Amino acid sequence: MDLIEPGSKLEVVDALRSSSERGTRVSIVGGRTHLDKGNPCRVDRELAMSKLDRVIAYDPAEMLAVVEAGMRIGDLRRILGEGGQEWPVDAADGATVGGTIAIASSSPRRLRMGPLRDTVVEMELVTGDGRSVRSGARTVKSVAGYDVHRLATGSLGTLGAIVQVAVKVQPLPKARRVMRTSEGGLLAGRTVLAAVPLPSAVVATPEHVEVALEGWPEEVEEQTAAVVRAAGEVEILEDQGVGGPEAVAGTTVAEVAVAPSKLEAVLEGEADWRALMGVGIAWVGLPDAGDRLSALRARVAEAGGIAPVIRGPGGLGDAPVPALEVHRRLKAAFDPAGILAPGRFWGGL
Amino acid sequence: MPDLDAARRELEEALGAGAVLSDPLALRLYARDASMVEGSAGLVVFPGSADDVVACVRAAARHHLDVVPRGSGTGLAGASTPIGDALVVVTSKMTRILEIRTEDRLAWVEPGLFNLDLGTALRGTGFTYMPDPSSQQVSSIGGNVATNAGGPHCLAYGVTSAHVLALDVVLSDGTVARVGAEGPEAAGYDLRGVVVGSEGTVGLVSAACVRLTPEPPSIRTMLMGFATVEDCAATVSAIIAGGVVPAALEMMDQGIVRAVEAFAHAGYPTDAAAVLLVEVDGIASGVEAEAHAVEEAARTNRVGSIREAESAEERALLWKGRKSAFGAIAQIAPHYHLHDCVVPRTRLVEVLIGVYDICRREGITVTNVFHAGDGNLHPLLSFDRSDPGVLERVLRSSEEIVRLCVDAGGSLSGEHGIGLEKRDFMPLVFSDDDLAAQACVRSAFDPSGRMNPRKVLPDGARCGDFAVAASATDASGVADAAAAIPEGTWI
Repeated sequence: MDLIEPGSKLEVVDALRSSSERGTRVSIVGGRTHLDKGNPCRVDRELAMSKLDRVIAYDPAEMLAVVEAGMRIGDLRRILGEGGQEWPVDAADGATVGGTIAIASSSPRRLRMGPLRDTVVEMELVTGDGRSVRSGARTVKSVAGYDVHRLATGSLGTLGAIVQVAVKVQPLPKARRVMRTSEGGLLAGRTVLAAVPLPSAVVATPEHVEVALEGWPEEVEEQTAAVVRAAGEVEILEDQGVGGPEAVAGTTVAEVAVAPSKLEAVLEGEADWRALMGVGIAWVGLPDAGDRLSALRARVAEAGGIAPVIRGPGGLGDAPVPALEVHRRLKAAFDPAGILAPGRFWGGL
Repeated sequence: MPDLDAARRELEEALGAGAVLSDPLALRLYARDASMVEGSAGLVVFPGSADDVVACVRAAARHHLDVVPRGSGTGLAGASTPIGDALVVVTSKMTRILEIRTEDRLAWVEPGLFNLDLGTALRGTGFTYMPDPSSQQVSSIGGNVATNAGGPHCLAYGVTSAHVLALDVVLSDGTVARVGAEGPEAAGYDLRGVVVGSEGTVGLVSAACVRLTPEPPSIRTMLMGFATVEDCAATVSAIIAGGVVPAALEMMDQGIVRAVEAFAHAGYPTDAAAVLLVEVDGIASGVEAEAHAVEEAARTNRVGSIREAESAEERALLWKGRKSAFGAIAQIAPHYHLHDCVVPRTRLVEVLIGVYDICRREGITVTNVFHAGDGNLHPLLSFDRSDPGVLERVLRSSEEIVRLCVDAGGSLSGEHGIGLEKRDFMPLVFSDDDLAAQACVRSAFDPSGRMNPRKVLPDGARCGDFAVAASATDASGVADAAAAIPEGTWI
């Protein structure tokens, strides 16, 4: 397989334009940490974005950071940390900002921080045929025009190469604490969720409930007391963030997304999972992508949700895609030659 | 060719005669929204259900009518102003709350429901619907979705888009697509994210699933007066620099404070050059710490007075002052033009001074009330239409203000939208390729081009790849519409 590592946006434009002209199929890669997400697809060329890693603009007072998409999450974390801030998206240090956005990674702290999609305010996207398109604005609020960046977020690299983004950042909390209760299960998770005001995460597992708290020190103490009242004995996990999908053991991990009240029905009979209470995300570990995955997906479909695999084989699943014709027209407009990871996306796009 | 009579007969049959208006007075009433642009309506229809909305869109398709959705008509950018013989679909009879499910932190509502009525219905559940545009007593959720409405509390909680989980959208061919999901993620591209803020140009929302947020257990609201605008703005920066993101951070200048005080009697300091309304919320101990940090920032920047709301009633009064600003300015002059621009927060003062300079040059009274934390300015130009030449001066000032904000690295609109009023400014912030890509997005949803045409994008913006596929009749339809825009309707 052919590998191209563009050193500038212009080189991305050239690479995609010539790939489109020749019908060369392209997979856009960042830190290679999320490549399992998506349906299997064949490509001729990889476009590696990690050399595009400059900070374009960062002033903590604006609470926005403008960076090239190949920047590693670890580097972004360090740079923002020097400004006393963070991008509230939990992803591996080696992942790239663009890759994390392209797969719309879900963070354990989503309960308080919201979804990744709401942090992306401006984007430069190079379409499959090599047109550079900017949308959004470098301000915390903007309603000017159609939000192309919303479509590219979670597009798995099938609409274009994300080359630059402006993301909303926020102050680092003055205090943080992660604690673990001694009783697990969804019911225990619900009890903690109902009892603790404004936690960052309440993650239920079969064995424990993990709770992430952050804010002013006195605030974290007040929340801690609420956790103890609700759950009794707790263990404080010093200097540790709350675990995400990496903390699930299975060789195959599906990311279930359902309305929060459907978690019980969906996780029935499963033994290896982490569920985000109040959010409706559950990472479910499975031995392989066989019958167990099919059975899980059948329950998820019944609950009106989706269960793409994010580790191992298994693809996205066959959940119906609403307005498929709209999707097809979008794909045709942004990738007219159909070269960007053909088939990787939902609906065979 | 549009066939209005046939469309009227079909709609009367489907929805009942009382649901369709075609008399000259009604057509005149629905020929504009709260912007300054006047258009013309062909027919006005009031669907009572999602099925009725489908019937409206199908009838429009059959009889070649453009469709203009309208909620409460409070839009400030002209997105609900019809052009030509459009079918205006008014959602004001669709006001039901279909479902509240706190266990899933969501509610399904019809598009015509007033924003505030949802908040009222949620009282006692421990949850609330966060977006709170100042128009919330009368603006509809559907309209809020269409404009991606903001509001004071969007500083900490995000604009409408962050609070919409799913939408049932009636597309131009009458099919209904559910975009988004009740769960946190959906299959496919984030169409939901495009529909929110699309100003009715990609389809009609027939039901909305909105996200509910736990009510903060503790709230503190403070009103601060400053001797200079600079000190007030510096306080905003200092609060943010101190690592505090208040729930709301609203700034008002002396002109607007005086008007509001005479109207709302909220006890605002009329001798201050600028006031800051700050609200912090969350857990009691955290709120305490945050309020302290806010006060420190204000004292460092020479705050003249600090008043804290001691009760829920006093808090409501302080907010009444802020939210009645647009009612209060009728005392200044009979007409106003309300601006909406966003600039980087660090450039607020320089832009504000620029706005004062522009209006002084043009002899237009300007007052300012805005979401300082977001960098979202709302200069209010007051005037009397009967003054000779005043419209030209208002128009000139407005354009200069837009350019000033764009030159400062800002955006054309923070929360009101582009509509008709700002579409010709779009090339100031987007390239031809950017606009062509946006045109592609729009035509992917609506290949017919009949959903609220001529809004958002300027005339030249075309989706090249679709232009090839589009039929010749579509293209001539666009040209006809261009000729139909009335001259001199601006401002």
